[in-house]
Amino acid sequence: MTTTATVTQESGDARRASTHATDEARELAGSHILCEALVREGVELLYGYPGGAIMPFYDALPAYPRLHHVLVRHEQAAAHAADGYARATGKVGVCVATSGPGATNLVTGLATAYMDSTPVVAITGQVGRPFIGRDAFQETDVLGLTLPITKHNFLVRRVEELADVVHEAFQLARSGRPGPVLIDVPKDVQFAKTVYRPAASVRSIELYRATRVPQPAPEAIQRAARLIAQARRPVIMSGHGVILSNAYSELRALAEKTNIPVITTLLGLSAFPVDHPLFLGMPGMHGPAFVNRAIGVTDLIIGVGLRFDDRVTGKVSEFAPQAQIIHIDIDPSELNKVKPAIVPILADAKAALAALAEAVEPGDHREWLSELRQWEAEEQERARRLSRPVPYPTPTDILDAIYEVTDGEAIVVSDVGQHQMWTARFYKWTHPNSHITSGGLGTMGFALPAAMGVKMGRPEATVWVVAGDGGFQMNIQELATLRDEGVEIKVAIMNNGYLGMVRQWQEFFHQRNYSETPISSPDYVKLAEAYGLTGMRVERREDVQAAVQKAMQTPGTVIIDFAIEAEANVYPMVPPGAAITDMIIESE
Amino acid sequence: MGLNMTEQAVISARAGQADIPPGSARLYTLVLLVDDRQGAIDRVVNVLRRRRANMRTLVVGPSEEAGVARVTVVVDDAEVGVEHLSEQLRKIVDVRQVLLFPAGQAIERELALVKVSCTAANRSEIIELGQHFGAQAVDLAPETLTLQVTGKGEQVEQLLERLQPYGIRELARSGCLAIARDE
Ligand SMILES: Cc1ncc(C[n+]2csc(CCOP(=O)(O)OP(=O)(O)O)c2C)c(N)n1
Ligand SMILES: [Mg+2]
Repeated sequence: MTTTATVTQESGDARRASTHATDEARELAGSHILCEALVREGVELLYGYPGGAIMPFYDALPAYPRLHHVLVRHEQAAAHAADGYARATGKVGVCVATSGPGATNLVTGLATAYMDSTPVVAITGQVGRPFIGRDAFQETDVLGLTLPITKHNFLVRRVEELADVVHEAFQLARSGRPGPVLIDVPKDVQFAKTVYRPAASVRSIELYRATRVPQPAPEAIQRAARLIAQARRPVIMSGHGVILSNAYSELRALAEKTNIPVITTLLGLSAFPVDHPLFLGMPGMHGPAFVNRAIGVTDLIIGVGLRFDDRVTGKVSEFAPQAQIIHIDIDPSELNKVKPAIVPILADAKAALAALAEAVEPGDHREWLSELRQWEAEEQERARRLSRPVPYPTPTDILDAIYEVTDGEAIVVSDVGQHQMWTARFYKWTHPNSHITSGGLGTMGFALPAAMGVKMGRPEATVWVVAGDGGFQMNIQELATLRDEGVEIKVAIMNNGYLGMVRQWQEFFHQRNYSETPISSPDYVKLAEAYGLTGMRVERREDVQAAVQKAMQTPGTVIIDFAIEAEANVYPMVPPGAAITDMIIESE
Repeated sequence: MGLNMTEQAVISARAGQADIPPGSARLYTLVLLVDDRQGAIDRVVNVLRRRRANMRTLVVGPSEEAGVARVTVVVDDAEVGVEHLSEQLRKIVDVRQVLLFPAGQAIERELALVKVSCTAANRSEIIELGQHFGAQAVDLAPETLTLQVTGKGEQVEQLLERLQPYGIRELARSGCLAIARDE
């Protein structure tokens, strides 16, 4: 590390000195250096919760009006909010917690961000250096705890390295395949003073970045283009990487030029418009049968920014048995991890898709497409035949109403369960990055705090949460934060009185033994009122649209409790471990 | 650094990780150069554990460069598994370089200290046996003697087998160290 004291400014009045970032060297306490470095990183929002070991930082914070701190009601929510902010804006989300229980409460949120590759920086207080390793009050080995769920983590040993560590953390979080990075700052380091030189050189992690993000190899692009030209039943499979690298128009250009249909994974949804003639749907466990059938017969998969997760592939040995795979990913460890790729392309999705779109010949897959549409029509026809008139709101009623009332402009944040799959399947995703959910970890309780981060990162956007009655109760305390911050979110609870997804598995695989899945809810109308918000309950289909409209017209956060059918299932479903072409479909 | 190697590793044809054929496991030696920072070795060991590497030996020590540790790991794995493992290790921020050798391809050596039971009668016989394997007696006591041996893993194994009848009281093995051969 290169910080050596050359100039010392004795004033020490950090409060006055800190209001604007200058390049002057001056002596500052670690707590102030932390704030200065955050300001220099362009941070405007932090989600956090104070406690003993992080108190010096909170003492410094009011001197930095640019840093808007949001006091959440649980640290898990701080991590999810930072994650939601990052997903919606592409910028690094920041969360703060104290040592011990504060830090352990962040763990679920960091693991969620890690699985979905989102850039988050977490700052935790730690007991003073002399107490580390002595089981001091509120000491936990945060480094050890978060080792497998962060891209990298730091324990700051000396105040002299603090600023560098902060900049390095931000750079790591957003570079290459993004991910969460944690900085653990002992309390005495926050108190310790040193000369802070804002422009001091930061240890270069450029090297790391350079080795990780090479340009797509031209030979590989050429080989891929040749395979594409020969393929008779090709599909594009697009994942989260396309959203992370903002490669929407490149994806579209490739699909349109080659006339190849597009499948998007759960986290890839909204990267390609649902109403586009080349859009097929979501693959895997709860994808439409015709999409999985397409994968069953395709001869070429162009996979972009996806990791062939087991919810997508089902039984790997029977996944896409006739297909060759072109796999584009920024992370070399993803290539050939699950399925061997005949052409692995190590690159950022945007660069690779652009190069590929340029290299390919225009194609025509009219026959293949009409075959696919035929299968789709049969599936839809069957669904229509099976649908019966019901008095209560259906998931599609709710999702259609949200779409219509918001002109399709909303960002929809879903929680985890049946409602998440219905949302993924039936919402009309037409705007890039309008679908946000916890995919890899499947964290119940994600949606409400994440939506707070989404809305605060994109204040101009309309943000809807779609949650289950189970998951909504997992971070329900954040209604207070939303109220305090005046953040406006609209919430649709699909209330089935069950931990529905688990109940569905019990129905299919455990002889309907509904062990511990019925779940009660509070009166959400009263609950909303208690928090100073607005609540509604909708029990009849015909009231859905009006309720959604009213929610949009009512200022502030609004909760609508939709009483949906108790035992509806998500169809079709691939049983765990089965081939994706062996789906359970609704019986006639 | 890194780029060419990474690309090579990626472009080299590999079979699907999820279907490692049974019985295809063999020994590989991984040599890592790691920035000697807080938690760096933890991270390496954590990836080995999490990706379920079947570790035979793990050696950590200094390298030719100050502040850079050299980690040598022998794993028992199918090729497909070990290549994926290398890629996972390359992702660790502290890891500068990962070299992967099939067993026997690099120069590989191990050191062992063996405390053997002996009597006045068989002491010189044991020392002689040791010498046959290039081992030196480094400690002599009335009822034991300690031999130091260096060599390839199998040479160490052979000596141990020959010493077994005398009674091995204590054994300390360094684990495998490796360095690439120059062409
Ligand atoms: C934190 C957490 N705990 C448990 C689970 C397991 N789980 C997955 S879906 C689900 C049920 C969710 O119920 P609800 O929120 O009511 O949604 P529904 O499926 O009824 O739409 C559960 C318990 C989980 N994903 N996350
Ligand atoms: Mg439910």
